[in-house]
Amino acid sequence: MPVSATFPKPTIMPLGDSAVLVRFGTSLSDAANRATIALAALLDAAPIAGVVEIMPNLVSLLLRYDPLLTAPASIEGELRLRLFGLDEAAEASQRWSIPVSFDGPDLDEVAAALGISTAAFVTAHNANPLRVLATGFAPGFVYCGLHDGLVLPRRQELRASVPAGSVLFAAGQTAITATAMPTGWHVIGRTSFNNFDPTAHPPTQLSAGDRITFTVAP
Amino acid sequence: MSAVLKITRAGPLTSIQDLGRFGMLRHGISASGPMDRMAYLAAGQLAGGGQGGLEFTMAGLELTLASGRCRVGFSGGNFVIRRNGQALAWDGTAELNPGDTLAITPGAWGNYGYLRFDGDIAVPPMMGSIATSSRAGLGGLDGRALRVGDVIELSGSGGAPSLPLIAERQTGPIRVIWGIHADLFAPNIRQRFLDVSFSISSRLDRMGVRLEDRAEVFAHSSNLSLVSNAIVPGDIQILGDGTPIVLMRDHQPTGGYPRIATVITADLDRFAQLRPGSAVAFQPVTLEHAQALLRGRP
Repeated sequence: MPVSATFPKPTIMPLGDSAVLVRFGTSLSDAANRATIALAALLDAAPIAGVVEIMPNLVSLLLRYDPLLTAPASIEGELRLRLFGLDEAAEASQRWSIPVSFDGPDLDEVAAALGISTAAFVTAHNANPLRVLATGFAPGFVYCGLHDGLVLPRRQELRASVPAGSVLFAAGQTAITATAMPTGWHVIGRTSFNNFDPTAHPPTQLSAGDRITFTVAP
Repeated sequence: MSAVLKITRAGPLTSIQDLGRFGMLRHGISASGPMDRMAYLAAGQLAGGGQGGLEFTMAGLELTLASGRCRVGFSGGNFVIRRNGQALAWDGTAELNPGDTLAITPGAWGNYGYLRFDGDIAVPPMMGSIATSSRAGLGGLDGRALRVGDVIELSGSGGAPSLPLIAERQTGPIRVIWGIHADLFAPNIRQRFLDVSFSISSRLDRMGVRLEDRAEVFAHSSNLSLVSNAIVPGDIQILGDGTPIVLMRDHQPTGGYPRIATVITADLDRFAQLRPGSAVAFQPVTLEHAQALLRGRP
């Protein structure tokens, strides 16, 4: 069955005078995220003239354009043509296995809040491959999801800084940091997988739509 | 041609910039680039267009030409510039010989100024650009602000200098296009946003400029948490505590606070130059009008 059967209808709106936002939803849903990733793959394969950069996020996609080369009306027209073809769009999907040391300061608390043992949490966390829902929040940062049944809100308090390679958990998602940053997510572990090298081309390896299997680091 | 500059005094936000590191949003990196793009371009024309330039702030800058020769062009807000103690006309250009010093102090208005040279600033490009990103900590000199003792090499030679077309500075309200979340604000809040005057707070940097909302337009907005979307420079985001912040060149790539409006490209340079304490009012324009203002610009 084509995934498009469940794709929500997008809203196309200007974002400033040099970008258009295509929004498939106003809250995170599996369908809106899959539609965003499918459209990004389509636009990568068949770019729109005058569009200089696209950036898929959780449920929306940014198209940055040169206002001297094109106009929003013609971008919208081209977008509609491509949205018709969203049916056949193959989701980009590289597969990765990422080893995690499950020793984060919040791990036991997370398991307890979910009413399971720490070992059971790790097993459930790693049971199914997750999709990279979005990149771009920070260099090399990825959101992965969505967990089935493993859903907790963020922490009440912000941690001022967690190091690169932190494995975070909240809102039915697992995220991996590639730079040090503050976070309100639960820190459940760390990985040696490095998704940001500013000297590499491209500087990150994981793309939205990729499938990730988390494993327990030896 | 080559020359070596030595920084002898630098404010905390002095950085190497070029036009920006575009195309890296997916990798989590916003473009950076000059806070006042037109002034950066004007300084480049005055100098003869070598790659990159130095962006400095009201805290000023002082440097010495350690060796070689170069021509320097300067533009931006209003600053006082002295070569070996002698004041030069601002904006302008000067030839530097070994041992010459340039000292820059703030003038009547503006936050940012630019020094550009006839040679290229010789630092390794990162993802195709030498612009310093204060957010990602990359580009420029080791991804950081310039400081006393830094040595900057100039290599190659640029083109011939030319007289830049320095457009007269616009005054009046900062023009905006309604934002992607404008519909989440009640009609009376949207109207008040246009009717009142905000002021530029002292909390401003290359990432964003916080506004003081003395009229308390947004003081009682509910703390909405939204799914995050891409951000563009000029987006006016209302933080959880009701503080409006205008996101600038080193902006976060995505954000989850509601955005009421976006400053148009033609007014972003002018907005960046508003000093803390300045009053600022916003005026909505159509997308077509905002884009028409971009035609005929470099």
